[in-house]
Amino acid sequence: MTRWLVALLLLATLAAPAAAADTVKVGVLKLTSSAPLFIGVEKGFFKEFGVEPELVFFQAAAPIATALAAGQVDVGATGLTAALYNIVLGGEKIWVVADKGREWPGYPLTAIVVRKELYDGGLRGVTDLKGKRIGITQLGSTFHYHLGNVLEKHGLTLNDVKIVPLQAMGAAMEALKGRQVDAIMLPQPFPGTAEAQGFGRILAWGGDLFPWQIAAVFYAKKFAADRDRAVSFMKGYAKSSRYYHDAVLVQKDGRVVQGKRYDEVVAITAKYTGAKPEVIRLGFPYQDRNGRLLTQDLARQIDWWVKHGFMKSPLSLSDVVDTRFLELALKDLRE
Amino acid sequence: MTGPRTAVEDRTRFLVRRDHPWWRVLAVAGILLAWELFARAGWVPVLFLPSPIGVLREGADMVVSGEIVTHLAASLQRLVFGFVLGAALGIAVGVAVGFFSIAEAVGTPVIAATFPIPKIALLPLLILWLGLGEASKIAVIALGVFFPMAINTYTGVRQADPLLVRAAVAFGARRWSVIRKVMLPSALPMIFAGLRLGAGTALLLLVAAEMIAVESGIGFLVLHAGNLMQTTKLMVGIVLLSLLGVLSHWSLNRLERLAIPWRHDH
Amino acid sequence: MRVVVDRVSKTYTDRSGRSIDALRDVAFTVEAEEFVALLGPSGCGKSTLLNIIAGLLAPTGGGVWFDGDRTGTGDAMLSAMVFQEFALFPWRTAQKNVEFGLEEAGVPAAERATRARRYIELTGLAGFETRYPHQLSGGMRQRVGIARALAVEPAVLLMDEPFSALDAQTRQLMQEELLGIWDRTRKTILYVTHNIQEAVYMADRVVVLSRRPGQVLAEVPIELDRPRTEHMAGEPAFIEAADHIWSLIKAQARAAIAE
Repeated sequence: MTRWLVALLLLATLAAPAAAADTVKVGVLKLTSSAPLFIGVEKGFFKEFGVEPELVFFQAAAPIATALAAGQVDVGATGLTAALYNIVLGGEKIWVVADKGREWPGYPLTAIVVRKELYDGGLRGVTDLKGKRIGITQLGSTFHYHLGNVLEKHGLTLNDVKIVPLQAMGAAMEALKGRQVDAIMLPQPFPGTAEAQGFGRILAWGGDLFPWQIAAVFYAKKFAADRDRAVSFMKGYAKSSRYYHDAVLVQKDGRVVQGKRYDEVVAITAKYTGAKPEVIRLGFPYQDRNGRLLTQDLARQIDWWVKHGFMKSPLSLSDVVDTRFLELALKDLRE
Repeated sequence: MTGPRTAVEDRTRFLVRRDHPWWRVLAVAGILLAWELFARAGWVPVLFLPSPIGVLREGADMVVSGEIVTHLAASLQRLVFGFVLGAALGIAVGVAVGFFSIAEAVGTPVIAATFPIPKIALLPLLILWLGLGEASKIAVIALGVFFPMAINTYTGVRQADPLLVRAAVAFGARRWSVIRKVMLPSALPMIFAGLRLGAGTALLLLVAAEMIAVESGIGFLVLHAGNLMQTTKLMVGIVLLSLLGVLSHWSLNRLERLAIPWRHDH
Repeated sequence: MRVVVDRVSKTYTDRSGRSIDALRDVAFTVEAEEFVALLGPSGCGKSTLLNIIAGLLAPTGGGVWFDGDRTGTGDAMLSAMVFQEFALFPWRTAQKNVEFGLEEAGVPAAERATRARRYIELTGLAGFETRYPHQLSGGMRQRVGIARALAVEPAVLLMDEPFSALDAQTRQLMQEELLGIWDRTRKTILYVTHNIQEAVYMADRVVVLSRRPGQVLAEVPIELDRPRTEHMAGEPAFIEAADHIWSLIKAQARAAIAE
């Protein structure tokens, strides 16, 4: 009897890694900005190129960078945080390979949401935020960077407001609802939900205030070393990105025109984020149709983090960015 | 009578336990040395496990920049306020429940029911009630200290030697005199045991409380450095936490020696 | 001041509801400045009786009266107890222990210190006032106990087998010292013991109690000169008194063992 059990166990342990070897673990957040990934999984674009993706959901962006460094996920698709740069600075390799979202004028991604009473009472501009308590997820996050730059653009500094780190996006929503902070900075679908539920008003969209390369696709060192699979993943990603762009991002005369597949993309996004379609319809974040990065913006980010003391020393882009996978993939895809 | 003589040997020799101070020092030094060598050889990535010398260097930088003082001051303030508050309340309740039968009847079930709740779990509630500021943090620390103090004080008071209580009454002591002059001094060893327990809990809760809505503190430093993936700074924070723990233990022991100059061999 | 024990009875109810007579109609008088020993087999209720006289236990029948002038200051207590197990407060120094009763009586600090020092010297504790009980030998500790009791200047000193916890040699010396202290202070002393030799050596009169329920079997006067010396143990008056007492309680003691 025991011999049977042992044999069974051995078989199971042998079989498991074989199955796992083909899936690619992709760390994402349940946000509208992850839509291209959701599309690629739903419509089988990755499978087309021989890649089996497995979505792994996180609560904030920095932990995805940590998971990449530890080899717990193969691909990360989330915001560019100080943690990511510090990991590379600390000697571990993570490669930024493609665009996954930009703060762009006219395209809603992150918003500053203020308490409804404060908005009704006259809080309408960035300068009105002076002295207020603003909730974000973590220091070193994209919201931290974004808020800091927005303030600086309007003549203020981070010291003019009180930053309240709340660790998770859900907690930030609760804090706004419970009146423990005056404003929060969160990405879609949270701002839409806050307005829909009546406790918040969107002060402004981040892309209108300060555009930047906020999110990207990154590869773990081991995954990047497997060049064939790395390029295949990019092919699936590029196809997803084009599908996404054509469905929801095309603009005519300054306004977004709903593509043929608009409703489908809304439905897919609603399914994975759990948010209401009306909230998602408020808008989708911008990314390059082919997924190409605004590489130079990363240099600007690194400088800002160093200046504010969140990175000890600067990085050169060649240590962090590798767009060859995407270029190779695009070459094959043509179109 | 003649015959072969046999000496009596000490058969308890193997039971003797000696102190080995040199082994202690060598062990710690050895671990640190091995750690440093591992880091230098690259067997463990420095990001994952910063080298001891790296940690020391980072720590020195932080002392010079004043960061350490800021964080230490913020944490110590929360710790001390919370600890003193929790201890004072705990002792008061412990004495009341130990001495007055009605208080005991009311107090023991309430304490027994609430004591097993992990205080960390109460933090979100406390934040709701007291806001995101210092109050909720001091409150959670105070709660964590309150329970061991109340329970230990109660036990210490109940354990007061009835002979001494009788002697006190024989010499004219009434209720408050008995509490003040017999029960409290009798309970002091248990009270200090409670203080030591409370100190450990307080440190734990301090770190938990400093995860939300703070801008300074050792727990904050550890979390913040973790968020930024600045693992060397994180290790400095951990070392500081460990030092805080050692310091509080040592000071409590000295305090106990001052407060209890008599032997307690009951 | 004399102490009149007037037909004192004490009945307990034990756990199963049975009533136990500890003392029944105990009656005797301790005259002023007299040294009376209270002796009996174990379980005869001597300690119970002492606690009743001290006001630490209520009798179920009869009562205890103190007769005579209340000399000294108005805060003097009627009686003070010296315990077998010393019952010193371990967290107080010898001096502070001696001052305890005075604190409870509301005596101001300066006067407390003076009075305490007087009795510390009287009991041979000079130089040891700042020691804690755990730093003192058994004999020294009981000296503190005696000083503590004397410090409140009671009318009567109640001593509950004060030297049984000490070794034989120390006990002997302490007995002599106590007699010396009594000689100097002339307190009325009621001294509980189960040791016949001790009772005869120390007392003017020995009240012998029966075993439970405790009753007075006899009151044996001790016809020995004062000051007592150790050689008196060989004198006929001593031996007769001791024999007489032993004959009274021998049967009692045997029955007590069989219980």
